[in-house]
Amino acid sequence: MARKVIDEPSEDVVANAKRDRAARRNPFSRVALFIRQVIAELKKVVTPTRKELLSFTTVVLVFVVIMMAIVWAFDQVFGWVVLYVFGTPGV
Amino acid sequence: MFNAIGRIFRTPDLRRKLGFTLGIVALFRLGSFIPAPFVDFGNVQACLAANQAGAAGLYDLVNLFSGGALLQLSIFALGIMPYITASIIVQLLRVVIPHFETLYKEGQAGQGRLTQYTRYLTIALGVLQSTTLITVARSGALFPNGAPECSQLITNDAWYAILLMVITMTAGTGLIMWMGELITERGIGNGMSLLIFTSIAATFPGSLWSIGISRGWDVFAIVLAIGLLVVVAVVYVEQSQRRIPVQYAKRMVGRRTYGGNNTYIPIKVNMAGVVPVIFASSLLYLPALIAQFNTPAAGETPQPWVTWITNYLTQGSHPLYMLMYFLLIVGFTYFYVAITFNPDEVSENMKKYGGFIPGIRAGRPTAEYLDYVLTRITLPGSLYLGLVALIPLIAFAWIGADQNFPFGGASILIIVGVGLETVKQIDAQLQQRHYEGLLR
Repeated sequence: MARKVIDEPSEDVVANAKRDRAARRNPFSRVALFIRQVIAELKKVVTPTRKELLSFTTVVLVFVVIMMAIVWAFDQVFGWVVLYVFGTPGV
Repeated sequence: MFNAIGRIFRTPDLRRKLGFTLGIVALFRLGSFIPAPFVDFGNVQACLAANQAGAAGLYDLVNLFSGGALLQLSIFALGIMPYITASIIVQLLRVVIPHFETLYKEGQAGQGRLTQYTRYLTIALGVLQSTTLITVARSGALFPNGAPECSQLITNDAWYAILLMVITMTAGTGLIMWMGELITERGIGNGMSLLIFTSIAATFPGSLWSIGISRGWDVFAIVLAIGLLVVVAVVYVEQSQRRIPVQYAKRMVGRRTYGGNNTYIPIKVNMAGVVPVIFASSLLYLPALIAQFNTPAAGETPQPWVTWITNYLTQGSHPLYMLMYFLLIVGFTYFYVAITFNPDEVSENMKKYGGFIPGIRAGRPTAEYLDYVLTRITLPGSLYLGLVALIPLIAFAWIGADQNFPFGGASILIIVGVGLETVKQIDAQLQQRHYEGLLR
């Protein structure tokens, strides 16, 4: 897992945010402040590395394809069986 | 990787679980083919074949979630959807009804009661939805632009026939609910999500194929490439999390030490999962339903508000619809995250077990900090959900694919989410036996 920014939580974060918000009367500048905080938090998000991403994607794809093939096969068989049982004879 | 798949089958326990799960899936699919009593099988098949190209409009999403069983009027026509809706509703009711909240906090026994309520609600929803479905089928609105035989889907209009059909479909819903719980208990993965995964996977090849047939194979290739990109993107976001460090104080219990280690609270960028998307689409489905009930007979002019709704709120390609959908998803994401992750509760629990976030006092400041991070990290999450959900609508406008466009919206989120979850569970089971897992 790659980490971009070292995370050091402190109570100042919330206190600063409250103070900054109170200091701004203009709603637009409040939104801008919020977005800046969102970006700051996003930088602390741990994202999968390229290798992890690749392996997760392949595994998920293989799983989905296998399941889809199995379900498709079931559907073919059951569709045929149900048609044989309930379908009009001769059609 | 292929070695690992071989190892899965050489582990007797895992092999049994996989076999059990597949068996249930097979039963589930079989049930979606068997027609309910008094359904004219020949007519339904003919209408389905005629309707392959033009989707059935309103019922698209519901039909997708039932794996095509809805339009077949089979005994499993309602699919797993009533159960999912019921469990979401019970979860939401925790906010409204204090009794539910106390039950939830009571621990195992209380949560058992909640599960019980969910089951009753599922049956109620099953009765409601099957009655609606049968009424619609009887009036011939199930296939709106079909041949005359499409309004004769039901062979017997007597009250006992209708009653029998409602009972059959509701019983089917109950059976599916039980099968889902069996998978969770004795199989692999979460039964509810695996069954909805199965339903979506069943319609996938068909809708891909129809894109290839109707739009040419170059468009098909482009769609596949976009789909791959979306899958990678979804995996990336689902695996991204904000980790809030937590330390646990060392405790001595008897001669053992507990805790003293550093862990973290994972706050996923997308904490809400697919629920907001499902919710937003069912809510947007309401105005279309109201408009349909208020559409006058041929010849009369409809009321202005009905025209307005049909113009702006029933077509997925209209910008106003897209905007509403997007905003609803963003709103529901915040709402749902607020329900499922309660900062006060988490900080209370941490305090109880001697945990704390380094640099922050336990109790209220911790809750405030968690809340600060949560509100900020949910914004990109909700935007992401909204964008992914819009993909099929944009594709609809762009290449004219039907709304079941496979790579987008709720279906891709469910497919990838369930895939990740199930594979991780198989992996964990493999690793328990000191094998290398699937994921390296």
